[in-house]
Amino acid sequence: MAIRVNPKLIEDIEQYGAEEVSNCYHCGNCSAVCPHSADPFIFPRRSMRTLQMGLESKLRSSLEPWLCYYCGQCSEQCPREAEPGETMMSLRRWLTSRYDFTAISHLFYRSWKAEVVAIVAMALLTGLGFALYGFSSGDINTYDGPTAFLQSPAVHVFDWTMAGVLTLLLLVNSARMWWFTVGSRTDIRVPLLSYVKRAVSLPSHFFTQKRYAQCGEKGPWLVHLVLMLSYVMMFTLIMFFLHEVQAGPGINWNVHAFGYIASVGLIGATVVMLRGRLKKSRPGNKHSHETDWIFLVLLLYVAVTGVTQHVLHRTGFDLAANIAYLAHMMGVVPMLVLEVPFGKWSHLAYRPLAMFFSELVADALRENARVTTQVGIGSPQPARV
Amino acid sequence: MEELRIGVYVCNCGTNIAKVVDCDAVVEAASSLPGVVVARPYKYMCSTPGQEMIVQDIKEQNLNRVVVAACSPRMHERTFRKALQTAGLNQYFFEMANIREQCSWVHDDAEGTTRKAEALARGAVYRVACHEPLEKLSVDMCPSTLVIGGGIAGLTAALELAEAGHPVHLVERTERLGGNLARVDLTAPYLDSATDLLIDRITRVRESPAIKVHLSSELKELSGFVGNFEALIGPATNGGQPTTEGRRVGVGSVVVCTGYKEFDASRITHFGYGKLPNVVTSFELEAMLKAGRIEMKDGRTPQYFAIVHCVGSRSREFHGYCSRVCCMTALKYAHEIKSSIPKAYVSDLYIDMHAFGKGHEEFYRQSSEAKTLFLMYDKNEHPVIKRAGPKDDCDMLIEVNEKLSGEVIEIPADMVILMVGMEARPDSGQVARLVNISQDKEGWFIESHPKLDPVATTTEGVFIAGTCAAPKDIPDSVAQARAAAARILAKIARQKIEIDAVFAQVDEDHCSGCRVCNELCPYSAIEFDEKTRHSRVNSALCKACGACVAACPSGVIKARHFSDRQILAQIEGILS
Repeated sequence: MAIRVNPKLIEDIEQYGAEEVSNCYHCGNCSAVCPHSADPFIFPRRSMRTLQMGLESKLRSSLEPWLCYYCGQCSEQCPREAEPGETMMSLRRWLTSRYDFTAISHLFYRSWKAEVVAIVAMALLTGLGFALYGFSSGDINTYDGPTAFLQSPAVHVFDWTMAGVLTLLLLVNSARMWWFTVGSRTDIRVPLLSYVKRAVSLPSHFFTQKRYAQCGEKGPWLVHLVLMLSYVMMFTLIMFFLHEVQAGPGINWNVHAFGYIASVGLIGATVVMLRGRLKKSRPGNKHSHETDWIFLVLLLYVAVTGVTQHVLHRTGFDLAANIAYLAHMMGVVPMLVLEVPFGKWSHLAYRPLAMFFSELVADALRENARVTTQVGIGSPQPARV
Repeated sequence: MEELRIGVYVCNCGTNIAKVVDCDAVVEAASSLPGVVVARPYKYMCSTPGQEMIVQDIKEQNLNRVVVAACSPRMHERTFRKALQTAGLNQYFFEMANIREQCSWVHDDAEGTTRKAEALARGAVYRVACHEPLEKLSVDMCPSTLVIGGGIAGLTAALELAEAGHPVHLVERTERLGGNLARVDLTAPYLDSATDLLIDRITRVRESPAIKVHLSSELKELSGFVGNFEALIGPATNGGQPTTEGRRVGVGSVVVCTGYKEFDASRITHFGYGKLPNVVTSFELEAMLKAGRIEMKDGRTPQYFAIVHCVGSRSREFHGYCSRVCCMTALKYAHEIKSSIPKAYVSDLYIDMHAFGKGHEEFYRQSSEAKTLFLMYDKNEHPVIKRAGPKDDCDMLIEVNEKLSGEVIEIPADMVILMVGMEARPDSGQVARLVNISQDKEGWFIESHPKLDPVATTTEGVFIAGTCAAPKDIPDSVAQARAAAARILAKIARQKIEIDAVFAQVDEDHCSGCRVCNELCPYSAIEFDEKTRHSRVNSALCKACGACVAACPSGVIKARHFSDRQILAQIEGILS
């Protein structure tokens, strides 16, 4: 059955950042130079083609954009400046909005103003909520203890509630991702055993990001890994040791040492990334979507306000520390609520999942090929580069 | 008869000959032949010292015949003949033995090859002994030119010649000048208006006192030879009853610029041309563009356009060749459509994108940037166009196996434009016979040499320019027209036409008038004199192929420089 070409789709995806897709004339240099392009996931050329022709269902079921880390060699090699790397990036944004069952990411990616308005609104709401709570049960001049302005058990409950809601949202979206890329495919069948056998790839990709390291330059991978590990460390501290983190003014090295390492990692990596984007230091930094800036600025803001409140509390300025804490929360909440399920941060789930799913799909395709060859119907189709 | 004094020169051609042939042995064998007074080997006979050696020997040793054993006469016969002329000897007292192409390049047995080279040299020595002094003939060159066809090539050729001050008869079959270009809106890749290009030339042709334009006319007859043709120009009959009425004009040269005909799209059924109302040919779209409004049959403005390349070209069933202009014309349509309907979507279905000319690759890139969707189909698996369903937002759907994605896809279309290729005009055979030129299997006129002599033909004085020779674009057609004009101007400037002394002659006293030779001559060089009932060879048209000499039942046709005596002597030399 023929698939209908939709020449209008490209205009839609252009709003996610892709600009020069039409320039591509399919020489295949990009796929040849890409260190990750390998049968059966050969990209970026195929994605460029599917996008040019507007084959939406094909695009939606593709895992290839997630297998790219945007080292940018493809864009450098492109004889027509079609920016295949940026196209893959834009497709990741577009896919995020397809996986999202609400229309929120669709809105944010197409209108940065809407995203900023949402962040500001959520920040004000958070500020108002915590201020009301603080003034009702605590003292603005006290940072910790039973009369603290923001008491850690309450914040702890809030954190866990928020984490639960966000995880649920992300799980629903991840399930949709599975359905689009694996579940709904009629040409392959993935046996349950495969899921078990390949399950180890999820944590292994999540914690090492080893595929990123294969992108030629090691620098971007290292910065990204530092940022991720620092975040995971901070996240663990806050979710499980919030009381110890907040307690003071003495320094509990058993806990705070980790906090300091994570803070240095977060701020350092964010600054390096921002600097890279400002200087357009490598191909992957040449094009920055508004959402890239929003994400990094939020991250830096949260890290800096977090450190500020900690320092102020340890130096005896409890009032200032509480204000900084409030400001910190006004950054943390919108960042998590808007970025994790609907924004750039969702890739924390989608990328490792894509590695996992791609292994399942590759196994299933190999199995198909094996059966076909055995039965003798014909040899498997050669891959198209 | 004076005593024979023959010089034999054996060329080593660097190592080309000497690596297989023992040149010294050839020299030694030749030196003992009757009449040979000097025999020498040399590294490069065609070099200046080599030629000077011949000149010096002729003068000092009083040579009256020269043989050079070297390469093919097609390569250097002219060079050595010139050396003889320089030394004051008649240039036809020369003979060449080909010991390179016929010996060292085709054999590797040194012993046998040397014997063969000796035999060929001996044949040449025996033959040259029988040579006679001949003189080249010279006739006047008529400065008028006949240009057939009033398209861009014909107009250009006529203007070039007229601007040099020579009279031109421009014959155009239709009632107006401009040819196929007059049907075109803009030109690729610079988007200049075709009308602007033409109007300027047509006006200049009209105003030129040297150009006589014959509209609604055609060439009825052409007789004579280079420098001295007589053309009969009569009213165009367009395939009707042929007439011999008209005006006779004398011309020295002929330029054929009869152009092309577009492929008839209704010969292909799967595109639905003629059945689906909004499947149009490129020329039908040109007409819409010239009128300034692109619309569907029912008057609606189309949103989805699809351009299909290679209609009738590059196919097994129709024409195997590429029509060369359609790719860029298709891109031009994409551009013009988007300028006229900014919300339009243009799909371009091609086999290969041929963007070889100046500015073409850039134009292709511009079209990509303007979001033309390029889709590649296989030439053995053509797109199929069908009517869309009532729910679709388009008039037609095109199903095609798209090669770059490997997907079978369906493209929405409101208007499909078929890029019809070029083909030879149906009457090109008639024109070819009239002016005595050849056609290839597709009907295009054949040039004298495809690379080195692209506007001349095998008939001297008859030139071809533009798309009558093969599909080409405007710059190529114009360049060819100017090249043809330049060739003619060079002939006019010399005022005389030199005719080679080698041609066939009929001994009219013994001709029985059987006319066997008349039909046989491939150059139409033999005329029959009704009054004397004898055949006569027109020496200017004769190419000395020898067909008539061999065929004459009475044996009364002799080829100069190829007499029986000369050929038999050569055979005797080779065999002895």
